[in-house]
Amino acid sequence: MSGEEEENAAELKIGEEFLKAKCLMNCEVALILEHKYEQLQQMSDDPMNQVSQVFEKSLQYVKRFSRYKNPDAVRQVREYQLAEFELCVLGNLCPETVEEAIAMVPSIKTKGRAHDDDAIERMLNDLSLIKKFE
Amino acid sequence: MFFHIVLERNMQLHPRHFGRNLRENLVSKLMKDVEGTCSGRHGFVVAITGIENVGKGLIRDGTGFVTFPVKYQCVVFRPFKGEILEAAVTMVNKMGFFAETGPVQIFVSNHLIPDDMEFQSGDMPNYTTSDGSVKIQKDSEVRLKIIGTRVDATEIV
Repeated sequence: MSGEEEENAAELKIGEEFLKAKCLMNCEVALILEHKYEQLQQMSDDPMNQVSQVFEKSLQYVKRFSRYKNPDAVRQVREYQLAEFELCVLGNLCPETVEEAIAMVPSIKTKGRAHDDDAIERMLNDLSLIKKFE
Repeated sequence: MFFHIVLERNMQLHPRHFGRNLRENLVSKLMKDVEGTCSGRHGFVVAITGIENVGKGLIRDGTGFVTFPVKYQCVVFRPFKGEILEAAVTMVNKMGFFAETGPVQIFVSNHLIPDDMEFQSGDMPNYTTSDGSVKIQKDSEVRLKIIGTRVDATEIV
């Protein structure tokens, strides 16, 4: 597969198509999939039969690994100057310290967007406040 | 990582489906054909969320089938090399352990498990640190970094 060799999420090399695409956090996916599941429930008595294993496994996964319950809280998180991908990784993993955040998303430091440690720390504080008060 | 993207597909429809319910038939065929599939480029298509556009149908020479180009929005799951994510452990053995993130299966070889964790066999095989403080067994939640992906016909491992 062409381009596979250069792919590296740590450096935000994920292909232009995905860099420009809308990235979703687990909590957002949980909302979408649950909504779809409810729609299916309304239309037939046995929705479980209609959905693929992929859907089922994904739904179980995002319900288990969601960090935020309130999607509007998450909306606030999206206002930072980060690529969508970086934002979603942080939203999914909720690092507590700046070191953790840089370990999880090395590209926030290297992309040359003047993200110093203080800015990252402020962002992490805001994220954890959002989580506490949602 | 989950993404919300727009994909395009040429759907072929048999004339028996034409009529008032043409669009509905097209959409349900699209869902049946595409949801749950996987490609190397886009990953797994988890769910279709909406139809953006259905183009003009073109009758195929010689068959009577009509091809409609359909643009649709969907949620896909595409793991990337270097990505860090959380997974649920499904099986542990002395070669390493298997875990799942949504539809994708992950294998972590014992070479990539920290040295201070030892394999313990038994009813519930697991990897434990020497002081017993951390244990990886079936249904544990782990955080890991993807170092490679492989697409296998209809799945990504």
